[in-house]
Amino acid sequence: MIDVNSYLGHFAFRQLRHNTASELLRLMDSRKIERAVVSSAAAITYRNAQAGNEELARDVKTHRGRLIPLGVVNPAYAGWRDDLKICHEEFGAKGLRLYPRWHNYSLSDPACLELVNAASDRGLVISIPLRVEDRRQQSWLVDIPDVSQDEIAGLIQSCPNARFILVNGSGYARSVLGRRNNGLPPNYVIDISLLRVELENEVGQLIENLGEERVVFGTGMPFHYPDPAILKLEILDASEAVKERIRRRNAASVLGLPSA
Amino acid sequence: MQAARPQTKHPSFGRVIDCHAHLHHRSRPSWQDDDRKLIDAADKLGIEQLCCSVLTPLKPATAEQFRECNQWVAEGMRRFPGRVLGYCFVNPGYGRQALDEVRRCVEDRSFVGVKMYNDYRANEPVVWPIVELTIELRVPILHHAGHAQWLPQPQPRISDGGHLAELARRYPEAMLICGHLGGGGDWEWTIKALRNAASVYLDTSGSVIDEGMIEMAAKILGVDRIVFGCDMSMTAGVGKIRSATLAAADKEQILGRNMHGILSRRASA
Repeated sequence: MIDVNSYLGHFAFRQLRHNTASELLRLMDSRKIERAVVSSAAAITYRNAQAGNEELARDVKTHRGRLIPLGVVNPAYAGWRDDLKICHEEFGAKGLRLYPRWHNYSLSDPACLELVNAASDRGLVISIPLRVEDRRQQSWLVDIPDVSQDEIAGLIQSCPNARFILVNGSGYARSVLGRRNNGLPPNYVIDISLLRVELENEVGQLIENLGEERVVFGTGMPFHYPDPAILKLEILDASEAVKERIRRRNAASVLGLPSA
Repeated sequence: MQAARPQTKHPSFGRVIDCHAHLHHRSRPSWQDDDRKLIDAADKLGIEQLCCSVLTPLKPATAEQFRECNQWVAEGMRRFPGRVLGYCFVNPGYGRQALDEVRRCVEDRSFVGVKMYNDYRANEPVVWPIVELTIELRVPILHHAGHAQWLPQPQPRISDGGHLAELARRYPEAMLICGHLGGGGDWEWTIKALRNAASVYLDTSGSVIDEGMIEMAAKILGVDRIVFGCDMSMTAGVGKIRSATLAAADKEQILGRNMHGILSRRASA
């Protein structure tokens, strides 16, 4: 399996476990997860997100065969062009994670569009977590809503050459992102970490509406337990071939990994 | 208080019991299919029994509305015999009507407990007669709960772990279940608020699957006070127990043995 939705480091509002490279790898081994896309949890709340990317780069340095780093870059902060260059050229990032609500910008801001296009020119993927935590449990210090799916759709429409991995979202079938023939370029995939399969079967709806190549495996570790996502694949009413695509092949394809 | 009438039949209890589930309100056109899907999902996930209530879409519920919901639960118990166990949902503000409904559901319809929502906080005096009746009937109360800074829809009288702990101090013999650790906001707060309320159980249900939440509850409360639930988030519910770093015996206790013990108190009456 390839997990497109993992993290390393500390988070400002809750203690995380399994949040170093070696600990996360042990957890991955216990669940037969071969590779994971990781970014810095600390960079979500650091004013200077690049400091989180530096921590991440140090931690994954000797585990690059299994941990695929993404840089967290804030296009509203000074020096983001330098950060992008360093993340790609020095840290070996395969992509970026964007936190528009936490970093106080809009996905339609010119700087964000410039960042996404510049990253795409470098061959980097763009991962957007729709949420970090359930809003109900957020600290009294912050009130951060989920990223609007309409806002994401606008970015996707504006950047047809980019490749997007949307994680920690749900309810896609009720938005343009999950609709059949939605007029958007097919340049985005959606992770299953917070999707339902048992009652509403959002995963089945997305496969039907968007195609079996558009759904990818993601857990949200170590913010989340891994087994809910694994269970979803176990009980999903789909062929083994489709499940294999979700487990690894779709992610390998969008990440440009050789096993695609 | 009246003496409990002898109950004519008792359900038997399985090894995996979802302590927090719902059948669907019949204003939903697809309610029959949706109820069937619930049972199908339980089958796939190894959940043998589901303790279900039906809630009104709009709250507070009137007496007529909660009686209607409970009628549907009774019908659900007949449609899915041995799989659906019934909670009697009442709004305690209806006083005698609520009490009569609880007694009728438990004594005449073999319901296994009472469900209360956010009509009143758990520590308000209007709730006390219901609690006293559940003590007499030896059935638990599953109480909707949450401690959140931000709620998508305001719930001015939602209870939290602190309110349930206060109620437990007044009625230590009551069997109180604090609803949805994983759907009630700041779960660390909830666990800590319940630490010294030894008679309050904590239900694990809800869509939130934060790593470490079950282990923290086990460490602070003890595994004998944790009861497995999904509240319709079923892969989340089962997955968080499967993931938790606990001994297999502890997981079995959470998945069914603790709820079995709670439900058996009525059965042994």
